[in-house]
Formats: sequence, C-alpha cells, structure tokens
Amino acid sequence: MRREEFLDRIRAEAAHAQGLVPATPATRPAEAGAEAAAVRERSRRETESLLARFRTEAERVGVSVRRAAGIAEAGEIVLELAAAREVRRVATWGRRALGLGSAVAARLRQAGIEVAEASPDEIAEGDRTALCRRLAEADLGLTGADLAIAETGTLVLASGAGRGRGVSLLPPYHVALFGRDQLVASLAEAGVVLEGWEAARPPGMGANVVFVTGPSRTADIELTLTRGVHGPREVHAVFVDSL
Amino acid sequence: MGGADASSLNTRAQGALGDRLLQEALTTATTQFMSARRTALAEFPQSDRYREEARRIKEATLQRLDHYLGLLADNVERAGGVVHWARDAAEAREIILALARERGVRLVVKSKSMATEEIQLNEALAAAGIEAVETDLGEYIIQLAHERPSHIIAPAIHKTKGQVAELFSAETNAPVPAEPEALTRVARRELREKFLRADMGISGVNFAIAETGTLVLVTNEGNGRLVTTLPRVHVALMGIDKVIPSPTDLMVFLQVLPRAATGQKLSVYTNLVRGPRRPGEADGPDELHLVVLDNGRTAQLAGPLREALYCLRCGACLNVCPVYRQIGGHAYGHTYPGPIGILLTAMLEGTGAVRELAHASSLCGACHEVCPVKIDIPRMLIALRVALDRERLAPASERLAFRALARILESPRAFRILGRLGRALGRALGAWPSPIQRWTAHRELPAVARRSFTERWAELRREEEEA
Repeated sequence: MRREEFLDRIRAEAAHAQGLVPATPATRPAEAGAEAAAVRERSRRETESLLARFRTEAERVGVSVRRAAGIAEAGEIVLELAAAREVRRVATWGRRALGLGSAVAARLRQAGIEVAEASPDEIAEGDRTALCRRLAEADLGLTGADLAIAETGTLVLASGAGRGRGVSLLPPYHVALFGRDQLVASLAEAGVVLEGWEAARPPGMGANVVFVTGPSRTADIELTLTRGVHGPREVHAVFVDSL
Repeated sequence: MGGADASSLNTRAQGALGDRLLQEALTTATTQFMSARRTALAEFPQSDRYREEARRIKEATLQRLDHYLGLLADNVERAGGVVHWARDAAEAREIILALARERGVRLVVKSKSMATEEIQLNEALAAAGIEAVETDLGEYIIQLAHERPSHIIAPAIHKTKGQVAELFSAETNAPVPAEPEALTRVARRELREKFLRADMGISGVNFAIAETGTLVLVTNEGNGRLVTTLPRVHVALMGIDKVIPSPTDLMVFLQVLPRAATGQKLSVYTNLVRGPRRPGEADGPDELHLVVLDNGRTAQLAGPLREALYCLRCGACLNVCPVYRQIGGHAYGHTYPGPIGILLTAMLEGTGAVRELAHASSLCGACHEVCPVKIDIPRMLIALRVALDRERLAPASERLAFRALARILESPRAFRILGRLGRALGRALGAWPSPIQRWTAHRELPAVARRSFTERWAELRREEEEA
C-alpha cells in the first residue's frame, strides 16, 4: 500500500473519534545540548555517590564492578580477569575509540594474549562475515562505555567507527572501561544525554546505541535463570579514576 | 487467520485443565511473574505517576497517529532505511517475502515478535523454501516442537526441561542432559552458527521513535541484538501502535515496561537501532527495512477497542488473570492470549472471532489493575459482549435469556414476583440434577435467603413508623 493512502485512512478514521481527553507527550529538553552538559557537570561533582549507587545496582543484576586509580592498574585488573578465565583471544574496540583505555589492550598483548581490534582499518570492507566469525571466536570483548547509569547499573554503548557492536555481544566475557565523565544518576538523565546526541549528531557516531543491564540471561526453561544464552555470560565494569 | 482453532473454547479449556504438567507450569510461572512484579513495584513508589504518564503519551500519539507515523517514516528514511506499508497480514507477508526473494535469502534468523506470529510469517517463509529460525530460547523450543507460543513473554512456559532435552537431542543427534544450564549452552552453540550464516534478520519492534527514526528492541537474551547486528539485511515489523514521539518518551516507557513484564528495573538489552550501519562501522546491517502493519488497528481509532492500542505486550495481565492461570495461552486458540488477547483478537479478526472468548473473563479487574498503561480491559470486554448481542453473534438462547432478564429488571412487579418464585425454587434446586449441575459439581450453590432485602426493608420501615 502507498504511504499517503495508508496515512489518509488513519486520518479519516481518527476524525471520527469522540470524547477524547486532551493529552500531550513528555516534554523534550528545549536545549538538549546545554541540558546534557549540565547533567554531566552535576554528575562530575557527585562521582563518589553515583559510583556507589552504580556498584550496588550493577551487582544486583550480576555485573562485577572494579575500580582502578589509573590505566596501568586497570590493565592489571583486566589481565587478572582474563587469566582467571583462561582467555587466549581478546577482541577490542579500535585504538582511537578506546582512547586511554587502549593501554589496557597493550598490556594484554604484552602478556601474550592475542588481541584483535574491530576497527575498519583492520578489516577490509565487505568482509563482514570474517570479522563476525573472528569476534565470535574471541573469549573476551574489551570496550569503553558512553554512559554508566547509577539508578539501574546500566552501561550504555554507542556504535561507530572502531566501536564494533559485536565486541560487547559475541564473546562470552565483556569488560567495559569507564570514568567519571560517563556516570549519570538516572534513566531520565540518560534520556537528556540521548536527546543531546540527537540534537548534535556527532560525526562518526554509528547507527546503534545499546543499554546493557547485566549479562545475557534467560529463564525460558522452567523459569530457571541462566546466563550467557546469546550474549556474554559475564559483564565486568571497570571504573578508572584517571579516565 | 491468526491460527484460529476450530474446536470450542470449552473443549480446549477442558484439555488444558486435564493436563497436569501444564497446570503445574502455569501456576509456577504466573505466580513467579506476579511476585517479581510486586517486588519491583514495592521499590518504586513513583510507579503510578509513570503509568499515568505512559498512558498519556500513548493517547497523545494516537490522537496524531498519521503525523507521528509520517515523521517516523521520514526519519527512518533519512537514516538510510526503507519503509513499507502493509494494510493487512497478507500484504506484510508479501513485502517480506519479496525482500527475501529479491536478495536470494535462504536462511532467516528471527527475534521474538508477536507481530510476525500475527501475520504467520514463519509458515509463509517455509512455503517459499526459506528457512526461518526463531532465536529466542523459548521460541526456539516451541519451533522445534512445532507449537505456538503460550505466553506473550515466556512462550515455552508449558514445556518441562525433560521435554526440551528430548527436542534438543533429536535436533542435534546427540544426547543432551535435562538441565537448564546445559540446554542453554546447546542452544547458544546451535543458534550462534545460524546467526553467522543467516542472510536476513527479522525482528519486531517494542517502540519506534518518530522524532529520530529509532527502532527500540527490549530483550534479555541478546538475540535481538544479534538479529540486528549480524545479518546483512534487517527487516523490522511493527504495528502502527508501536510509534512514540521522542527519546524522552522512551525513558518513561522504560520505567514501566520491564517492571510489569518480568519485575526487572531494565531488561538486559535495550537496543536502539537507527538505520543501517554508517560508513566506518565494522558491523551492523547494510540494509534496514521497516514494515508498518495496520491489520485492523486503524478501524479501532474511533472504535470501542481504541484503548487496546495502548498495549505494550508486557504480559502482566495474563499472569494475574484467573482464567489464563487455569487454561494457559493455547486454549485461547489465537495469536494473543489472556485478557488483552481477547481484545486484540477482536481487533485483528473481528468481533465474530471472540464469540466465546468474550466470556472467558470473570471481569474481576485484576488485568486493569496491573496494566502498565492502565488499560481498562473489563470495560472493553463488556462492550464486546454488547456488540456480540447487537450483531446477533451470540447464541440465540443467551440473547433470549438476557432479553428476558432485562424485562424483569425493568419492572419492579415482575422482579418481585419472579424473585419470590426464584427463592422458592433456589432452595429446592441444590438437590436437583442438571442443568446447573455443571456448576454445583465444583462449587456450593449460595444459600438463598428466605425473605428478600426489599421485603425486609419494607418491614423495617413499617416497624419504624409504628414505633
């Protein structure tokens, strides 16, 4: 059916509706960019309380939360996590996407773990299947995070260049590095930041944003909670003070 | 359409009541869902405010539905997606089949979607020689068993782990232990391979954001992410009722949907997809197609079932319904079970399809109470019963009985005389065989008072005057 015909039918039918009560959707931020900046500013002043809340909520949904003073300590923490799980292959976001966090990838490589970056420079265009297979073969995915929502223990990851979606999805273990700039208090605040992204449309931002609240889970067989059915069975959030 | 079952509701319900395993599974599942929801809400005192707001957003969207759908389409296209418009199930199937055929698709992976169940897409794909694999664990199980979902969010609650182990053993040609952990590992391995080989991913949509062209999928397993990440083509099917205005509105719905469905604050993955992958992105689909489905919904914009268009498909009303808890989803005989399912069935397939189902409710109101958007389901069930009578779809005996009752209730004299007769009969009836034996076999017939309230009232008044 053609779009106009489809929408005309709706318009015609809706015109007959009677006794409707006035209703409005939620009010969007008027200056999304500025309000998002204000949210971040407020969060920066409350790092300790937000991190404490994030830890409580994340642990409730099965995410382990660790804290490192600097990136070197973060490298040791992730290496320890990897070693305890006999991880041999690691997939990571690209160097630029990880930023300072790429030092963690370097530390893993130095310890003899095979590290593959899911960045376009490394993977030829059109070779998607090969990339996905390689990500699926990795034991651990290492990413950053764009937001950490204290109220729900949620990590928010936006896709983009060097920020492969499969890194946080295909390997059985997922480690995400984040810092004080990523912490926000609530879903509502995350919504303001999301609106800010929409308003600004930052270049290089991909088509996907995912809210991750705990490891992949199912209760479809006799309501028994089981982890790792499709996505990672463990999620580790590493807060780095210097990030 | 919609997998309508020709047997009578009574027969299907009898079958369900006699199935001991099903009865146990239903009790456990619905009780567990209800208590999870209660616990979540106990920690969330502001829930009522959010439910009101969610409801208001749904109503506001419906009042300008043509505007928001047009805006959604513009923004999906701006992000590089393609929008298709399907008037009914057949058109939706045709659109999706054509997309698959033109691209030589042989293997499709699907994430759980009631809308694709509604249009019976799997059967259509199979008939076209295309393998479609359900990847939600529950859906995968029932697909292997050649059954249909029995609960909106827990499609395989009627299956035991032993039955699942048998299905998986047959599928993999290897023995699988009847342990949820082991079974889940097998499903991961089997389905991962399908994901990596699939040429097309088909999903439903929980919310579609008009202002940004973003499709939102809420899942716990992660299959929704895989379906929208790995295959080269992503096709999303949504009813017109899934559109919401903005990301700010989404945040309101995220406060109420997971809590009502599973008692979680947030489901594990809330996945926001805006068009196919962008330049520089290593993964994500090359093509995104959004199919917007009407299938009887528009006709209710000014109709008696309008409010059912608010539904978020959380399944909360199933878990609390005394009828659903007894007979389970299959006995309803259509795609959507439970109290809301009766309304949706009437919306999609016409009032005639719920001739029996309209009465499969005690009108206790529990569904209304738990609904995250406060849909007044009992009110609409009554409206359906009225419509069935008006359209002469109800059985003649039933219509006659109610017409007679209406006459009696209208006349105080007839009411008094028949009441007296009824009380005399009622006292004698308990011992009588048929026709009410089907009732008294399971319940006590309430004792009938010797004198009616009206008689006693008149007496009291007299005594008062005399005194």
